[in-house]
Amino acid sequence: MFEPNSNICPICCGFPGTLPLLNQKAVEHAAMISYALGSNIPEKIMFYRKNYFYPDLPKNFQITQYNLYGLTSIGSAGSVCISDSKTIRIRRVQLEEDPGRLSYDSGNIHDSSHTLIDYNRSGVGLVEIVTEPDFTDPREVRYFLNKLSSILEHLGVCDTTLEGAVRCDANVSLKGGDRIEIKNVNSFREVEKALTYEISRQTSLSTRNIKINSETRHWDEQRKITRIARTKEEEQDYRYFPEPDIPLIMLGKDFYTHIGRLVPELPDERLSRFKSKYTLSDHVANILINSKKLADFFESCLTIYYSPVEIANWLVNDLLALIGGEETTLLDKMKLEPKHMAELAKLVDEKKISRSTAKQIFTEVFRSGQAPSQLLDRTDSSQINDENFIANAVDVVFSSEVSAVEDAKVNSSAINFLVGKVMKITKGRADPKIVTQLINVKLTQLGNS
Amino acid sequence: MSNLYNLSAGEAHRGIIQGDFTAEEYVWSIIGRIERVEGKVHAFITLNKENALVCAREIDKKIRTKEVVGSLAGVTVGIKDNISTHGLKTTCASKILENYVPPYNATVVERLQNYGAIVIGKLNLDEFGMGSTTEFSRYGPTHNPWKVDYVPGGSSGGSGAAVSSRECTISLGSDTGGSVRCPASFCSVVGLKPTYGSVSRFGLLSYANSLEQIGPICRTVEDVVTVMNAISGHDPNDDTSFSSRSSVPYLSINQERTPSSIAIVKELIDGCDPAVSKTIYSALDKFKEFGSECTEISLKSVNYALPSYYTIAMAEASSNLARYDNIRYGFSFPMEGFEWNTYISNVRSNFGEEVKRRILIGSYVLSSGYYSKYYLKARQLRSLLRQELLSNFAKYDLLVGPTMPVLPFRIGEKIDDPLKMYLMDVDTVLANLAGIPAISIPAGHSNGLPIGLQLMAGPFQEQKLIDAASLLDNAINIKGSPEI
Amino acid sequence: MALVSKDELIHLGWISRINLSEEEIETFHHQLDDTIKYIDVLETFSSENLSLDHLEIVFSDLREDKAIEFTRELIPKSSRAQQGYVKGPKMK
Repeated sequence: MFEPNSNICPICCGFPGTLPLLNQKAVEHAAMISYALGSNIPEKIMFYRKNYFYPDLPKNFQITQYNLYGLTSIGSAGSVCISDSKTIRIRRVQLEEDPGRLSYDSGNIHDSSHTLIDYNRSGVGLVEIVTEPDFTDPREVRYFLNKLSSILEHLGVCDTTLEGAVRCDANVSLKGGDRIEIKNVNSFREVEKALTYEISRQTSLSTRNIKINSETRHWDEQRKITRIARTKEEEQDYRYFPEPDIPLIMLGKDFYTHIGRLVPELPDERLSRFKSKYTLSDHVANILINSKKLADFFESCLTIYYSPVEIANWLVNDLLALIGGEETTLLDKMKLEPKHMAELAKLVDEKKISRSTAKQIFTEVFRSGQAPSQLLDRTDSSQINDENFIANAVDVVFSSEVSAVEDAKVNSSAINFLVGKVMKITKGRADPKIVTQLINVKLTQLGNS
Repeated sequence: MSNLYNLSAGEAHRGIIQGDFTAEEYVWSIIGRIERVEGKVHAFITLNKENALVCAREIDKKIRTKEVVGSLAGVTVGIKDNISTHGLKTTCASKILENYVPPYNATVVERLQNYGAIVIGKLNLDEFGMGSTTEFSRYGPTHNPWKVDYVPGGSSGGSGAAVSSRECTISLGSDTGGSVRCPASFCSVVGLKPTYGSVSRFGLLSYANSLEQIGPICRTVEDVVTVMNAISGHDPNDDTSFSSRSSVPYLSINQERTPSSIAIVKELIDGCDPAVSKTIYSALDKFKEFGSECTEISLKSVNYALPSYYTIAMAEASSNLARYDNIRYGFSFPMEGFEWNTYISNVRSNFGEEVKRRILIGSYVLSSGYYSKYYLKARQLRSLLRQELLSNFAKYDLLVGPTMPVLPFRIGEKIDDPLKMYLMDVDTVLANLAGIPAISIPAGHSNGLPIGLQLMAGPFQEQKLIDAASLLDNAINIKGSPEI
Repeated sequence: MALVSKDELIHLGWISRINLSEEEIETFHHQLDDTIKYIDVLETFSSENLSLDHLEIVFSDLREDKAIEFTRELIPKSSRAQQGYVKGPKMK
């Protein structure tokens, strides 16, 4: 993290005489987002000034896009499917500049003696995505935000897991009531909670016939409630007008195609491809797609050893269990490499080790980063297929577990207990299929005698 | 030696290069001149004498050791105090920037210095460039060197007066609605407002950014050409500056081409003082003698030009000046005991009254109820005016008329009536609204008070202006400097 | 009848964050009104859906995404708060 005001210049601090300079990549990235959200990208875009005074705004205006006098923003009229039956329409995608960041010497706004300002992020490009009010349930919002994160991750234009990288304002109204805006929810995870709370709050007011008036509220993450915002004195008049220092940007007729070529495979396409090409189930494919890093890891494994279903299952079940499910950021730092995963899958496929041995080794590879073959050499955990060897082990178990054997003669589910015992004394190395087979044979023999 | 301050930039530079005198001698001469007359003229806010001498010595050293020096080497330049100079206080003649020392140079300053020019000081102006007489400076007005109790024009009054009084050889001003041409006219020197986008605005403290350009004020047309060739051209720090050099060509002197056809705008010549129109018609006669075809034309949109100009300028000003809240730079005003909004409101009450008026009106015309009625209309009118002017430039080489509708007047005479002040810009705002180049050249005197002739041309047609100005300059031959 | 009321003027002072004295409100009220009456002539012009002029820049001429450090001191350390924050008055 940068020290406050260690990364500033006269332009981003609004020094007298400085002029804004639009970054080409920012426009490109914003256009890629528009494209990926199914939006139109116009041939020309323009910037406006939004005028208001606030400590985090060095020029006391923000350079942004605005559509009141014709479409000038980088994207409009898009849509995102969140399920087979539901699509969310995108009203607009726009590019604007970030203000600085405020903090307070006492830790909160109420009893500070000063306001502290850090201009490091001032002037950085932001993309604002605005949807139509198409959501009918907070869960849909969660699906949408997950989808959006996945799209952004696939585009490679934004790391949504970085602190402060995403901010959300949510608007909600009940039928017949005014719209309430909940500002500054700081993570996608909190949005669903905030909305659920707000809906129940509004519902309780409306059942008591209390009118709900348009207002702005803040989500209090500590107390898990929305509170009315103090700064709203009256409807702000931002006195928008075109930014004179930034000319109209001619993107041109071929820009849309140009952006299309830059946009990599998006989650929806990748999902279809995973399902059809790799014959993965809907469930498994969705989990992989949910995280680009995981999906990329998966496909890297396949380039080494092509066993999609096997590898997918390992990743979706075993790997996610080890890294705690949601924390796909840990994928970057883990010691498990695609070549390890591929090797392990191959060993299992070729029956060189049993699945349970493989699971043990997997955990070890994940922790140490050592190749499965190395670990196997050390601990001699190769799978035993030798039927005589296994038959001996079965005999040993049958002599020691007399009551279990009696049970197994009449109750077939008790066979599993015996299988377990054989696996134990062979240190998990016996091929379970052969063990089960031999146990059944022996039981039949015993039954007939 | 002591009259070196009288030389033009071309003459001074050539003298230094040829070894007739050193840059240091020349700068001493300027300093001496300043010391003698500055008390009466009051053109400067900040002087840079020590540093100027250091630069002069460096130039002399380079010349002695036969190093290459630029075409302005040794020439003293005054910079209007709304243009950023690194390490040298830049106040915009406002209390709000009383202590402000820029951490960077404006591009134009950087370029002039690369060509060897020496910054002798920062020049007085109407606060933040808002005014036509330099009476709105917090440091007091500048005085017209021709008659010291008269206004020098504005807002670049210091720039006009200092060049006229020989306190510097060349100067830079900024022109939003006439602020370079007006003082040039009132002080009897040459002032050029370039085509919008031909000179970088990076480092110019914005008043109305879609209208303004930095321009040279000099004693000769040749000097204007030298300065323009040094400062013009694309700047990657200014996206409103034109990107190809071919659009912003280098200018040349010594062409003296007669414009084949010139037009005079009826509405503008009819609206001015008889003493002024008499002089303008004489100048027109000179052009006719040279063979130009002169036509009187009518431009209907001229009636809307001033309201359109002021609406746009004030709207932009209200936003451009919002950043002055004394948090990152400004003046001494302790914040203990204040809450945010109260603090900045108190800070900003230190703007001068004209600045306050323009900010308030600017906020008004941008308000949601009034945006279409004023701002949008003004923008539309601006487009119409530009179209009208451009279509005339297809027929005529130049549009000619008075720079100012009146003679310079006494200090204090019009200061109580803001609207009367605004009406004086009627001739000059057209060029800013349309983004076209315009030059003011000395055309004569009346009762010892200077009168300027304004020439306007199509976008990037500065060469036509230079050619005609040179021609007239030699024909009218107004030389002589004011006795101060 | 005034186009701008005193209340509107006070409101304009607030949105522009300029503290106006009683005297200023008196003086400015007349002056602003005069000026606005003057620019009101814009109303007599019929717009005929004129499109606005704009400067243009092509996408390829936009600034490259390159970091250029500014190494000089911008805001003096002496005026800063702890850890290098810029200090401003408290918020209400």
